[in-house]
Amino acid sequence: MKEINLTVNGKKHRIKIDENMRLIDLLREKLNLLGTKEGCGEGECGACSIIMDGEVVTSCLVMAFQAESADIITIEGLEKEDGTLHPIQQAFLDEGATQCGFCTPGMILSAKALLDKNPRPTRVEIKEGISGNLCRCTGYNKIVDAIEKAAILLEKGGN
Amino acid sequence: MKKRGKGVGIIFYGTGYGNGFPDISKAEAELQDDGKVAIYVGATEVGQGAKTVMTQIAAEALGLKVEDIIFINEDTMVTPDSGTAAASRQSYNTGNAIKKAAEALKALIVDKAVDKMKLNTNIGLKVENGNVFVKTFPSRKISFKEIAEDYKENPLKVEEEFIAQTTEMDEETGQGAPYWPYTFSACGVEIEVDTETGIVEVIDGVLAQDVGKALNPKLVEGQMEGGFAMGMGYGIFENLNLKKGKMKNNSFTNYIIPTALDMPDIKNVIVEDPESTAPYGAKGIGEPVMIPVAPAILNAIHDAIGVRITETPVTPDKILKALK
Repeated sequence: MKEINLTVNGKKHRIKIDENMRLIDLLREKLNLLGTKEGCGEGECGACSIIMDGEVVTSCLVMAFQAESADIITIEGLEKEDGTLHPIQQAFLDEGATQCGFCTPGMILSAKALLDKNPRPTRVEIKEGISGNLCRCTGYNKIVDAIEKAAILLEKGGN
Repeated sequence: MKKRGKGVGIIFYGTGYGNGFPDISKAEAELQDDGKVAIYVGATEVGQGAKTVMTQIAAEALGLKVEDIIFINEDTMVTPDSGTAAASRQSYNTGNAIKKAAEALKALIVDKAVDKMKLNTNIGLKVENGNVFVKTFPSRKISFKEIAEDYKENPLKVEEEFIAQTTEMDEETGQGAPYWPYTFSACGVEIEVDTETGIVEVIDGVLAQDVGKALNPKLVEGQMEGGFAMGMGYGIFENLNLKKGKMKNNSFTNYIIPTALDMPDIKNVIVEDPESTAPYGAKGIGEPVMIPVAPAILNAIHDAIGVRITETPVTPDKILKALK
């Protein structure tokens, strides 16, 4: 057993973990943040993507102890306290960018990490930004539309 | 060297189980205390939008808003059998069953309204926004909620079923009409073949799908774009690599499916030609949208390099072998 400190969605936590625990298990099992999905478990599909210190990581390939002092954002951290959706989430709904929904949390976090660094990306830049996130349902076009729309919403002054 | 080519694929597809197999969907409609209507179906939502279009169908048939339909599905404890979410059959089959159930419940509500309003007949009555009223005397009305008050213990509920018309093919001759309805689609692509690496890139695409009637165009487009990506994967990427019955490519490292970078911005063409036996004319499209894509790509490869490849997926090794 080991104890680590980390910040998840703005909240500080001090958590006991097993040394061999993965970050995705810490999020899902210790913090009950079930929005982070496990797809392939080997870093290929991107379903478990989260933002750790500003970078997108696949949380199935990060050990929990590596998150010591890290600042983490999961999909649960995006909506406001009053339940208002983040502009990226709203754009996904408006554009029909979600079908089965399994890739959606990781997709939205990859989009956020992209837009945080590049507020007005081209369609090709958006496709590069989400190329680590596999989607089997949508064919991606509506996801790219949604991220383009989210960029405009954010520029107009979302959160 | 990079060589470009264009190709087209055109298909038709019979939806439903077909070939005489019983293709049955059941649906129940129940008036709630608050005047809303609950629809119970065993249909499964897997992201295709079944819940959305089926709620729309019920709302349309009952003259209610979609917010006033309580859609209950998938829970086999409380729902009747609506068959599988397969064979592109749910919008057509279960959609028809829902429309029948909603219309039957509406007729029952109207009958109860006639009694309660002490009218002579149901002729000239209209149902709109959860009210039954006399068309020529609109203030003479009663709401679904007021009618429901009389049935709190035993709510008004109906069950209907829809059975698709299919006949078995003649085993000897292969003749018959095994499916109904059929749907049609066409795909055009432009591709680029890298003759050094054998890599095929799909750079542009257009997909036209006959949908009967698009109950929800955005969902139809979602199915079309998804189908295009799946068809593209089938055509040039996805190889299970079966060896003695075992999948060798059993992870995303070697079983390659399209990423956002592989998928071109395609143009969707929704073709509407309402089907007379379908709910508001809508046919299923879940599977047909992917079928013309791989043939279109293989035709485009032929156009680009002059070699006809007849085995999918057309992976780079096959292109290089074909070019030798």
